[in-house]
Amino acid sequence: MSSLSDTPTLSPPTHDEAMTVENPAVGIDQTAGNFSYKVDYAFDAGTGLSEDTIRYISSVKKEAPWILEFRLAALKKFLAMPMPTHWATKDLENIDFQKIRYYLSQGQKPKRTWEEVPDDIKKTFERLGIPEQERKFLAGVEAQFDSEAAYSNIKDIVAKQGVIFVNSTEGLREHPEIFKKFFGKVIPTGDNKFSALNSAVFSGGSFIYVPKGVKVAQPLQAYFRINAENFGQFERTLIIADEGAEVTYMEGCTAPKFSTSTLHSAVVELVALKGAKIQYITVQNWANNVFNLVTKRGVAHEDAEIKWIDCNIGSRLTMKYPGVVLKGERARGEVISIALANDGQHQDTGAKMIHAANNTTSNIVAKSISVGQGRSTYRGVVHIPKHLKGCKNNTECDALLINTNSRTDTYPAITVRGDKNSTQHEASVSKVSEDMIFYMQQRGLTEAQAMSLAVNGFINDLARQFPMEYSVELKRLIDLEMEGSVG
Amino acid sequence: MSVPTLTAPANLVGSFTPDVFAAHLSSLPSSLPGWWLDRKRAAYARFASLPMPTRTDEMWRFSNIGTLTLDGFTLAGAASSAPVAPIGIPKAARLVFANGRLVSRELLSTDLVGRGVIVDTLQSALVNHESLVREHLLAQPPKLGSPKFAALHEAFLADGAFIYVPRDVQVHLPIGVFSHAIGATSAVFPHTLVVLAENARATVIEYFGSDDDTSVQFAAGANDLYAGHGAQLTYVGKQDWSHRALSFQSNSTVVRRDARVQSLNLHLGARQARHESLSQLAAPGAFSEMLALTVAEAGQEFDQRTLQVHQAPNTKSDLLYKNALRGTAKTIFSGLIVVDPDAQKTDAYQSNRNLMLSDEAEACSLPGLEIQANDVRCTHGATSSRIDPEQEFYLQSRGIAKEQADELLTFGFFEEVLARLTNDDLHEALRLLIQTKFKK
Amino acid sequence: MSQLEIKDLHVSIGEKPIVKGLTLTIHSGEVHAIMGPNGTGKSTLSKAIAGHPDYTITSGEVLLDGASILGQEADERARAGIFLAFQYPSEIPGVSIANFLRAAQQARMAEGEELDASAYYKRLYSRMDLLKIDRKFTSRSVNDGFSGGEKKRCEILQMAMLEPKFALMDETDSGLDIDALRIVADGVNTMRGPNLGVLLITHYQRLLDHIVPDHVHVMYDGRIVKSGDKSLALELEAKGYDWIKKELAASAA
Repeated sequence: MSSLSDTPTLSPPTHDEAMTVENPAVGIDQTAGNFSYKVDYAFDAGTGLSEDTIRYISSVKKEAPWILEFRLAALKKFLAMPMPTHWATKDLENIDFQKIRYYLSQGQKPKRTWEEVPDDIKKTFERLGIPEQERKFLAGVEAQFDSEAAYSNIKDIVAKQGVIFVNSTEGLREHPEIFKKFFGKVIPTGDNKFSALNSAVFSGGSFIYVPKGVKVAQPLQAYFRINAENFGQFERTLIIADEGAEVTYMEGCTAPKFSTSTLHSAVVELVALKGAKIQYITVQNWANNVFNLVTKRGVAHEDAEIKWIDCNIGSRLTMKYPGVVLKGERARGEVISIALANDGQHQDTGAKMIHAANNTTSNIVAKSISVGQGRSTYRGVVHIPKHLKGCKNNTECDALLINTNSRTDTYPAITVRGDKNSTQHEASVSKVSEDMIFYMQQRGLTEAQAMSLAVNGFINDLARQFPMEYSVELKRLIDLEMEGSVG
Repeated sequence: MSVPTLTAPANLVGSFTPDVFAAHLSSLPSSLPGWWLDRKRAAYARFASLPMPTRTDEMWRFSNIGTLTLDGFTLAGAASSAPVAPIGIPKAARLVFANGRLVSRELLSTDLVGRGVIVDTLQSALVNHESLVREHLLAQPPKLGSPKFAALHEAFLADGAFIYVPRDVQVHLPIGVFSHAIGATSAVFPHTLVVLAENARATVIEYFGSDDDTSVQFAAGANDLYAGHGAQLTYVGKQDWSHRALSFQSNSTVVRRDARVQSLNLHLGARQARHESLSQLAAPGAFSEMLALTVAEAGQEFDQRTLQVHQAPNTKSDLLYKNALRGTAKTIFSGLIVVDPDAQKTDAYQSNRNLMLSDEAEACSLPGLEIQANDVRCTHGATSSRIDPEQEFYLQSRGIAKEQADELLTFGFFEEVLARLTNDDLHEALRLLIQTKFKK
Repeated sequence: MSQLEIKDLHVSIGEKPIVKGLTLTIHSGEVHAIMGPNGTGKSTLSKAIAGHPDYTITSGEVLLDGASILGQEADERARAGIFLAFQYPSEIPGVSIANFLRAAQQARMAEGEELDASAYYKRLYSRMDLLKIDRKFTSRSVNDGFSGGEKKRCEILQMAMLEPKFALMDETDSGLDIDALRIVADGVNTMRGPNLGVLLITHYQRLLDHIVPDHVHVMYDGRIVKSGDKSLALELEAKGYDWIKKELAASAA
């Protein structure tokens, strides 16, 4: 079948149990994810990318022929498209696609209970606190370990309402009629080089369908874990909220800090049908050797609402601009973005709002913090084409620079046609006021404490939009990041 | 004079073939210094080898590339007529060019000449003030996406204006430079070089116009503005080429310690006009105020690209570009504030406001920041909106008809820019000009 | 002698009815006050009469000297003699007060007729003196960056210049300290006379201490529910709006 099937698997990653962190919380504390356990992979596509890699992935997943065709066509596009370095950072050129492992798993079928999850994988998620989080406040959890979900479960009460929450491998197999209808429609394969790459080698990610009128009260959560060195994770998520439905989805992620770079390149498509609401919350906390190149976009139909809350703290380079296509009248789109770039990090984030119907509104609030030699970049697209009326966009970008050599850039692009719409963009750059720091120091706080307070104050209005459990941890993380930034 | 033998692919040079360039060189006076002719030859070689802008060129994002052309133009011969002064306020001196040749002039007062002020043609200055010209003429490399058109300008620049104000001298009345394109297909390459020495002060008004509003003309112009230590320069440019002209204009402003440059560009004419403006805040205390007003009408495209570079601490820049769009007009504003790593205490502002007066008009804004110092105050804003209905209602509730209310509000929109001019006569004259154009 | 008749007026914003059958007639020389709790439709009434496009008149009539004004644009109504002193006047950057008032005066003249500039400025300055407004004011943009008190004085100045038949004064006292209130009230009082009818819209009795009304109406839920002379305002001040609500509830029961 595949010429790769008898290729010997590479030796598993090394132990690194030096760190112990008490009760680490989901996806927040960077140090908490910095460990890896030895795992024996049953399936390994080897190193490098070719047609054979894709045939191997498709065959172990036992995919329908159309999916293999889709993947192969995507690979051609990926190879043909240039790196977007005419506008993006040259750091992209440091990715060596032939040194990456594109598929690693112990099997394709996730377990429904934690007891069934193999011990070597289970202890990773227990250490990250996932089972505990699930019990506390989630309606469902999917835990992806390298290429496939190791665990996937949804509370009975939610399942009984007809909500589907499975990983994308299962979604394709068991719900092809819904999956195929929306898959690749919001983000076409050739949208960009990395969406093409994802379309070629995707594995894992969530498939969610919320039936008409069903409002899922608690969030659904996915947790993405990279365990292996030189690995590329390419999950594919598709969320469909049928008419009047509501759902909140949260994702967290960690990876151990290897000496070589790792690639994470996801595609996330959201479809909010008439009157539906989708809220998608990301706390991205990859180790800072990860290239995180993600395409996220949603289509909001009539009276629907899509809100992205996107928080980027980890990774070496993140390029991610969540978007909303406002397709139906009165649709609303919102992006709330928080980025923190420390030494050696570049957070290149932003938002895209494509207005395609009358009386649609979009709102973007982006706040970035650059620490040390960190660099944060905001890129935005707001597009209001001809013959629309009553469309509105409001964009605010604020950047906070902590140290003298911190860097920030802002590159919005706004196109408006006609005299019946309005857009407003404002951006500012500031530093933490010395007077404010002195004032707090005079009251007995250390300089680092004062700085943390000031930075938390800067993002406070946005952090409040996160669920409690996340916003508390967000504050804690900022404290950690600020410790080395002064003096 | 030796004529270089050059060959170039026709699609890269259009009407500006090696033969045309050779003819241009041989038409220049033999007195011009060799270094300048060498530079022109090098510029032509650059022009002939550089590609035309493409759709994927970030510096040309949103621009209409398909309508850029180098074909169908001629290097116009001498024109004898000098059209009437288009900005009717008293001047300290005036140079009038038609198709790149001086056709008339008003001389400086003997007093100002005695104090060392120079208002002369570039051809003359290249000989008589060679070192000053060599130091400042086209000294800054093009950074805003048009190296090809900058090279074309340098290659074909025949004559232009040279203005020099020595240390501690103030020229109270504006100095006028008028450039006309005469003839149905003529191509012109106007240039103005302004150098203010320490603590000098001057106001320069530039005007660009055509003999006929239907001529399919071509312009690739440039100016260099240099404000030395403590100098204060006010520059006003009024672009009113034929509505069928294709225009490229690039500005380079260098502001030294404690100097201040205020520039205001009025964009009225041309079918497609690209304006690139670079301000370098080169030493502490430098301040550049960059203003622009555009009245964009049916079919016109105004493409404005700006760069504010803060190279030293304690520098300030303030940009306000306003566009009023009617008919199928299109405007592009792409601005970037760059703060170099040690330019602490920078105060930079950038604002683009688009007033949409038609359902067919299109406005694109790309306001950018690249900040590498933390103790700075940098903000930018961009808005696109129609006339505010509440303001409109307020005026109507006082008995003013809707059309007139809209006109008043539009003039109010312009006024915010014009009111920045400290010279009242100039303010009044420009207000009149722009209102006339708007009512037309 | 003019009259402004409001007959069974119903006004909606979007789909929501706000004014629900209001009838009131004002003659020249009279000062009427409409009082009522917040959200009862007072401001809606004044904006609807002035012709704001967001307010839909669903039924009823507004007649100026017997002729309906409802088919007219806002500027036509203004030229016919209706003046609205706004609660929150618009800020208009770049348009100076002098230019703005000239345009408003010019709009009231016949085609081809030119405004006599010197007479205009003479009149403008005398009105400004009356309202204790600094002459430098005229070169400032309309309401742009004005304090609350300056905005209200600017409204009264415009009213004095445009000499309407009827002035609708929407919460003219809001945001004013006592000195500013006195200046504004003095301005209105000097304009009071046989040629001007005034409709004062206010939440508080305070303004009525300075501009004493001939008639007082209480508005509640989109209608006038009680009318009287100036003593009604004092009674309302003493008993509060709950008194009206209770009375209404009692009469409904």
